[in-house]
Amino acid sequence: MEDLIRVLTPLPVLLPLLGAAGALLVGRHPRTQRVLSIVVLSGVLAVSVALLVLADDQGATSVSVGGWPVPLGIVLVVDRLSALMLVVANTVTLGVLVFAVGQGMADGEETDTPLSIFHPTYLVLVAGVSNAFLAGDLFNLYVGFEVLLAASYVLLTLGGTAGRIRAGITYVVVSLMSSLVFLAAIALVYAATGTVNMAQLAVRLGELPAGTQLLLQSMLLVAFGIKAAVFPLSAWLPDSYPTAPAPVTAVFAGLLTKVGVYAIIRTNTLLFPDGALDDVLLWAALATMVIGILGAVAQTDIKRMLSFTLVSHIGYMVFGIALGTTAGLAGAVFYVVHHIAIQTTLFLATGLVERRGGTTNTEKLGGLAKASPLLAILFFVPAMNLAGIPPLSGFIGKLGLIEAGVALGGAGPYVLVGGAVLTSLLTLVAVARVWGRAFWRPRAVDTAEEDLEAIRPAAGTSATTAQLQENRLPRLMVAATAGFVVVTLALTVFGGVLYGVADRAAVDLVDRTPYLESVFGLQVIR
Amino acid sequence: MGLLLLAHLVAAVLAPVLVRWWGRSAYYALALVPAAGFGWLLAQLSTVLDGGTVDERTTWIPALDLDVTLRLDVLALSVAALVTGVGALVFVYCARYFEPGDEGLGRFAGVLMAFAGSMLGLVVADDMLLLYVFWELTTVFSFLLIGGSGAKVAGRRAAQQALVVTTAGGLAMLVGLVMVGQASGSYLLSEVVANPGSGPQVTVGILLVLAGAVTKSAMVPFHFWLPAAMEAPTPTSAYLHAAAMVKAGIYLVARLAPGFADTPGWRPVLIGLGLATMLLGGYRALRQYDLKLLLAFGTVSQLGFLMVLLGTGSREAAAAGVAMLLAHGLFKSTLFLCVGVVDHACGTRDLREISGLGRRLPVLAVTAGLAAASMAGLPPLLGFVGKEAAFTAFLDGGLESRTWALLTLLGLVLGSVLTVAYTARFLWGAFGSGGAVRRCAAGEPKPAHLHRPGPAFLAAPVLLAALGLLAGPFSSLLEPLVAPYADTLPLVAEEAEELKLWHGLQPALLLSLVTVLGGLALFTGRDAVARLQRRIAVDASADEGYWHTMRGLDRVAQTSTRSTQRGSLPTYLGVILTVLVLLPGSVLVLHAPWPDAVRPWDTPVQALVGVVVLGSAALAVRIRQRLSAVLVVGVTGYGVGVLFALQGAPDLALTQFLVETLTLVTFVLVLRKLPKDISERHRAKERTARGVIALAVGALMAGVGVVALGARTATPVSVDFPEQAYSFGGGENIVNVTLVDIRAWDTLLEISLLVVVATGVASLVFIRQRTGAVARATGDTRSARGRRAPRDRWLAASATLSPQRRSVILEVVTRVLFHTIVVLSVYLLFSGHNVPGGGFAGGLVAGLALVLRYLAGGRYELGEAAPVDPGKLLGSGLLLAGTTGIAGLLLGVDALQTTILERTVPVLGDVKLVTSLFFDMGVYLIVVGLVLDVLRSLGAQIDADDEHDEDPDPAEGQALATTAGGDR
Repeated sequence: MEDLIRVLTPLPVLLPLLGAAGALLVGRHPRTQRVLSIVVLSGVLAVSVALLVLADDQGATSVSVGGWPVPLGIVLVVDRLSALMLVVANTVTLGVLVFAVGQGMADGEETDTPLSIFHPTYLVLVAGVSNAFLAGDLFNLYVGFEVLLAASYVLLTLGGTAGRIRAGITYVVVSLMSSLVFLAAIALVYAATGTVNMAQLAVRLGELPAGTQLLLQSMLLVAFGIKAAVFPLSAWLPDSYPTAPAPVTAVFAGLLTKVGVYAIIRTNTLLFPDGALDDVLLWAALATMVIGILGAVAQTDIKRMLSFTLVSHIGYMVFGIALGTTAGLAGAVFYVVHHIAIQTTLFLATGLVERRGGTTNTEKLGGLAKASPLLAILFFVPAMNLAGIPPLSGFIGKLGLIEAGVALGGAGPYVLVGGAVLTSLLTLVAVARVWGRAFWRPRAVDTAEEDLEAIRPAAGTSATTAQLQENRLPRLMVAATAGFVVVTLALTVFGGVLYGVADRAAVDLVDRTPYLESVFGLQVIR
Repeated sequence: MGLLLLAHLVAAVLAPVLVRWWGRSAYYALALVPAAGFGWLLAQLSTVLDGGTVDERTTWIPALDLDVTLRLDVLALSVAALVTGVGALVFVYCARYFEPGDEGLGRFAGVLMAFAGSMLGLVVADDMLLLYVFWELTTVFSFLLIGGSGAKVAGRRAAQQALVVTTAGGLAMLVGLVMVGQASGSYLLSEVVANPGSGPQVTVGILLVLAGAVTKSAMVPFHFWLPAAMEAPTPTSAYLHAAAMVKAGIYLVARLAPGFADTPGWRPVLIGLGLATMLLGGYRALRQYDLKLLLAFGTVSQLGFLMVLLGTGSREAAAAGVAMLLAHGLFKSTLFLCVGVVDHACGTRDLREISGLGRRLPVLAVTAGLAAASMAGLPPLLGFVGKEAAFTAFLDGGLESRTWALLTLLGLVLGSVLTVAYTARFLWGAFGSGGAVRRCAAGEPKPAHLHRPGPAFLAAPVLLAALGLLAGPFSSLLEPLVAPYADTLPLVAEEAEELKLWHGLQPALLLSLVTVLGGLALFTGRDAVARLQRRIAVDASADEGYWHTMRGLDRVAQTSTRSTQRGSLPTYLGVILTVLVLLPGSVLVLHAPWPDAVRPWDTPVQALVGVVVLGSAALAVRIRQRLSAVLVVGVTGYGVGVLFALQGAPDLALTQFLVETLTLVTFVLVLRKLPKDISERHRAKERTARGVIALAVGALMAGVGVVALGARTATPVSVDFPEQAYSFGGGENIVNVTLVDIRAWDTLLEISLLVVVATGVASLVFIRQRTGAVARATGDTRSARGRRAPRDRWLAASATLSPQRRSVILEVVTRVLFHTIVVLSVYLLFSGHNVPGGGFAGGLVAGLALVLRYLAGGRYELGEAAPVDPGKLLGSGLLLAGTTGIAGLLLGVDALQTTILERTVPVLGDVKLVTSLFFDMGVYLIVVGLVLDVLRSLGAQIDADDEHDEDPDPAEGQALATTAGGDR
């Protein structure tokens, strides 16, 4: 078993990197590239699942890469949390890749879009994300972040249209700023403790004066707060995500902010377990939830609306973290899993809406429910899930957080519970409006039909307009989106199993010893 | 029960398919599902009536106490029977209500079936959280049913309104349920009600739960959504908005009353709101012209009635409440179904346009008449029995306080008077011979084209009405259904009255008489009432209040978003830095332990360099010329390099210098395309604010640095590096061993980052294709100027440059240096493990050599110097580095673990080869690839675009505009 974990653990990073190398080398053969990417990511997913099974069975384990003894070299740590994140993240990356391939094939990618850019970059992104989850070393975590951010810069500006470049500048500069803060914080942490190994930091940071600890924690929190889009560090997100191509936005929205949330969870539980900043986090969570969702209510564009709900719901996770209890962390972990899946699904569904309706502006859209009942289902189910309608997974996560908040009691948690509920209601208002406008309301002038006439003047003879419109959605894209909807439903049906894992992960996080022992063995190193 | 629920789910999914196959008749088949439920309930009757329960339990999410715990007791059975029974009949009715070609039949069937299942689940759920699950599901399906196809704006608005209002209450209820559940240590209704617990958490929790109940059951002031929901097709109204969903709140109150009726606030809220709702609903019903709306307001009124009865929390009131609940379910769904028939027959539901239907459709008239009589509380119908019981309850007891009991009774009697009045209005309007206004001209008698309903269409309402009629005289048979639940509540009156039709000449009968006479009087004086209604329009404000709130929400949303989402990068950065100053800054000021002594520098030279760096940073802000600004920024970088050197880190210094140089070159390449000066458009105030933030951040970082360094007591891990690097890593150059071995994992990721960055630069410049052929000067390629490069000359392609761009000195220097530099770079690569150098530095040096070739010879020369696809270089480098990573795994050691091979090779002598060299070669390749990519895109491609600008040639078309955009 030991051996198996030793071999498996580095693979979620190594396989995509090798895949990226391969994709660059076969740049002139799109089909080979596609097959390669899908095979690689399937492999990564399989490895992740195996790691989760092993981690849930045996608890945390660590692997030193390069064979160096512990505080010298870099360790990768697989515990329940990181393994769970790996599985979810790589499910999403694989699914989105399939969607993107579907979109590419439908668009005749071979000639138009820079295939040789997308695949290698996407695979490197996956490596970065996986590494961020596995890193047992603060600097290595930073490197993971940098890799995924660099890849995201490229993906966000794919195609180089003016809008994307403008959004890209905001995104890149803000991300660089957060990286700068993070890097400075790492330097300070090293200055104060002489190590960047997280397990060793867990011991050494505790020996520092409380004020110094607080200082370092707050620096790291600001850095991760930007990445996770916690208000007031969140304004960059709705200005940058919506312009990217649908699959890119989907994977960004689903994954990238959650890596920041993961980092907050990790540092707050492992490195700074005293909860000294929990109150700050609590109010930040409230502001993130409420101001984020107000932003969503004010939008008329689906992608922008979803981006604001993304910010808003980060508040839920921060809420769970700020509670600091096992129940709160379990709720946060479950919500992270749920939210990764649901945001990705919704953005993909919105990609289909854009394809069908030609826009994502609800003021121009209309009649989609009638034109494409399948698309309507693919949007409605995850939209309700996002709004936390039971029994869907969004409800389960919300319930976990409410239960945790009520269990802790006190003014702060109760206010937060109220804020969470209000946010849930406003999310429903926002998605119900989109539904009403884009799906229910008949289209004033059926421009889609006119487009169709223009494209296929002779097609009207055999197929009805509705059928024709159905044809316009490429099958692979629809299948990928439908697959995601099924995944979100599975999160609901198997919510008990998943919540069990989240719960055990939270117990480990609060306990800390499983993590420390996995790195040091039984003796604790100073 | 679980199976039944599952059956509903399966049927809901299959419904659209069935409808596609069998058309509207599929509804008959679908009716079997709720009918089966009804049958199953009947089969459980004996168990339940004996005081037993039917329990089922499947775990779902044990961590949250959310399990599928189902429990059928007598109250659940009564309501479930109503839900399934009416449900089955509504499906039967649908099969004829819809026309064969109607659109959306399948969707409607599926949603209605899903609703039926959720409603059944709500009633049999024992886990409070599970009850909430079904509760919200009924809300969502109601939303879909009200909105229908979404074609009508009123339907969409009503659907959204109902959704928002009931969900708002539902969410309050969810929090309440959690509070109650945690306070009482169980989430099972049966256990919670048995051990209710007390204290503020329970009180607040219960009041929140009631918020859910009153919104769901359309109590004042949340009643407005229910009449608006009448946009839905009539079967929906009959089922959801009369018999089933709106009863959910009442049902929950009935469920909780045995445990919580004494909770502070319970009775005032429920009885107060109930009475207000009963009166207001009745009053509003009196002015309706649309038959459906009339019934809707009647429903609101009756729900208020039920809320009073079941919220009172005494045995006698509860018994009356359950009887009334059943009665209302029967008569109200009948009436709705009849209105549906009328609508079909006449094409309208406006009572001003209908007349004389009674004569033409006698069966329908009798059916509706029976149901209406039950609604008005006329003997011998079930409605009469319920109302008598209610009056008796409050006459003899009901509440501990007589005063409040009698006041409540007064309210109920008044409400019943209104009920009789609107019942009369309904019958008169639908079936009477004289419509009030007759706006519709006599020459357009709709009944002439009467669409006569068939027996199948009428079956459901007739059956329901007949049940209401039968249940009256035989109401004592209902007693075993009512009593077990009612007995869980305390008896306030002296003795419990049984349900029966004839109690003798009692005060209650007198009250019934009063209500009937009063109601008829109101009906007779309807013109006066209408005048009064016009003058006092109660209530219209509630609906307006909702829309007002929504508009307010929009305003708040827009204001808040406008102020936080400025769309301005400098603002965002300012906010981020301000947070940085405020959060760690305040910690620094308030809590930080400052070290006792601070050593500012090791040698004064460091201070000097520091001053230079600071000065050039400040200068960079002031300089307007882009190029100069970039150069000054470069000085800060070189300064840092000097600091590294002073610290005794030649490797770092070397790398820093190389990177800085390359960065400058890149900048210069890009700056060619930008305006010379940086435009200054910021006002003085903004500049000041930025200056303050910048200085504060700088001060913060310095302060934090002092504190963090002063806190160090532990030994840094790096003290072991020198020894370990040699013994384990096989190298004397610690930096290089760190990069390619100790922390090779970091390096592997960093080089993949380089790959991505190179790819990204290419992506922005070569919008369309990356893998294009390398532009070379030899062969067939001709320069834009038509000069052709001679094949045999070194640096031949410089001939393709225009003369004014050529520099003889540079060409000469390049000729001398290029190969030397390349050799040097290879030397750095191989020697790096022991002396300063390494793959990264080597790669950078090689890159600089390429820069030189490009600058001297132009873009074709670049193609000559490196006739390879940079993508291939990057790919091979990554493959090489990655393979050394995975090789370790394959060989049974850790990933990236190195091996030292020492051999004596004939010519070279003793050679010590550390496998990390292969890794370093990967690094080298990638760095070269990166530089090449940057030169090709930012250099050569922009050259090509420029030449293209000067000498337009459509055949070489590139996305020039987008490229320019890319550089902005």
